[in-house]
Amino acid sequence: MRRGVWLAGLVASPVIVGLVYSFAGATGIAGFGAHGSYTLDRIRRVLSEQAVWESLWWTVRTSALATVLAGCAAVLAAALFRGTKTLDRAATTLAVLPLPIPHLVAAATAALVLGQSGLLARVAVTAGWISAPAQMPPLVYDRPGIGLILALGWKEFPFLALVAFSVVATRGAALEETARTLGAGPWQTFWRVTWPVLWRGLGPAAVAVFAFAAGSYETAALLGPSDPLPLPALTYERYTDADLARRGDAFVLSLLGLLLATGVVALHEWLRHRVRRLDG
Amino acid sequence: MSAGLRAVRLGTFVVVAVSAMAPFTLLALWSVGGDWFYPALLPRSFTGRWWGDLLQDGRLLSAAATSLMLGAGTGILTCAAGLPVGQALSQASGWRRHAGAAMAFLPVAAPPIALAAGVQYSFLRLGLGGTLTGVLLAHAIPAIGYGSLFFLGVFEVFDRRVEDEARSLGASPRQVLVRVLLPLLRRPLADAFLLGFLVSWSQVPLTLLIGGGPVRTLPIEVFSLVRAGQDPAAATGALIMLIPALAALAATRLGAARTEVVAL
Repeated sequence: MRRGVWLAGLVASPVIVGLVYSFAGATGIAGFGAHGSYTLDRIRRVLSEQAVWESLWWTVRTSALATVLAGCAAVLAAALFRGTKTLDRAATTLAVLPLPIPHLVAAATAALVLGQSGLLARVAVTAGWISAPAQMPPLVYDRPGIGLILALGWKEFPFLALVAFSVVATRGAALEETARTLGAGPWQTFWRVTWPVLWRGLGPAAVAVFAFAAGSYETAALLGPSDPLPLPALTYERYTDADLARRGDAFVLSLLGLLLATGVVALHEWLRHRVRRLDG
Repeated sequence: MSAGLRAVRLGTFVVVAVSAMAPFTLLALWSVGGDWFYPALLPRSFTGRWWGDLLQDGRLLSAAATSLMLGAGTGILTCAAGLPVGQALSQASGWRRHAGAAMAFLPVAAPPIALAAGVQYSFLRLGLGGTLTGVLLAHAIPAIGYGSLFFLGVFEVFDRRVEDEARSLGASPRQVLVRVLLPLLRRPLADAFLLGFLVSWSQVPLTLLIGGGPVRTLPIEVFSLVRAGQDPAAATGALIMLIPALAALAATRLGAARTEVVAL
């Protein structure tokens, strides 16, 4: 049926419009400071800026770490709470509870908890670990991005946990039973069966989470450092720059962001295809 | 079960429970805390001032009303567009299926700020910049992507023979839709509506660039309050943002679990 692809193309069309316009803006055909003719000058200039590469690398690194953090927590939760006892059911419900919390609320809460005079610092003072806010290691606007990684990891955990619970329930149980019948111990069963099933099953979801984390503007703007600026924040800053000539630079960045997302989508679909094949 | 494993289970449960409840508890405390300065661990007194300000000022309330409207509109568009796309995609196979699913996922995965920068010009040309309609359509871009994937998941497990049976009994395609499909899909439709609602309800960058100032939604107000360091007011606004999110979760009972790529 061809209708499905056409309709899906319509769903994707705004992104394609965005890609085309970003390309036109980045090459000087249209947009701010356009001269109507095709040139690669702007792309060359923006891509030769060290700040841009630092921003890109910072965003990729923090999003990847947040994804790994959320993924490990999800695997742990799925492995520990897979039974039908009250504790298992309570744990799975609570783990998924924050799923619909907006990124903005997660970031606002993180700022209140992790800031230098935030709740964590107050706990540290009360416990006698530190005596002044300055002694608190910076966890917000910090160069390593610890606050952002924690907030994004926390935000994405419920989704990955939800997927992990369902992977264990639908794919894991029968295989584990077989492994145990064949004489595998609990650890062997986990490492040889549960873990491989889980990480393969979590693959596509983890890739999606990486894209959400890397693209989240509000978390980056509220928790990220000003040097390097996270990629979504840098894109916004350039796009709203008072200097119109610099505004055009934003199109190189939005082109970069949209192309990255396209790559991530392709990877996601390929992983999903592989997981399906494993199911037979 | 060994004592060690039991301890690990209990310990992990406590961490999961505390981390799940933390935002509600903390934001609620911040929204009623008076005289709560560093290094006090807990507020010295409680006050209804922030909630009172909120009711009197009316800015957050009118922003919340705008957000509710946009959310409802986005929810309707998610259903109206997601259902036919998901249904058509579920009938595709091979590379068409993969390409279709990937294309529906594209607006979901695209960084909203890059997407907004890319489409703003088209919106301005169409006279939609800074208008509520423009913001609604902008919110619908990722929401319809979510909705299509959601309905693709729904139709994968849907028994199509019901449609065939109704057709063979003489129902027109329209009758099949109105009398058979829609009643059967009431639950997924409600879930998709809430999904679209939530995508719009939590949106910041698309509103910021396409709304361009005149359109003030609740997330935009909360975002400015957090940036301005107005903690209690920001916490109060953030708490309001949580209400429909939780209500939706309770209502859908995780209906979104049916899609493999839904994360808000």
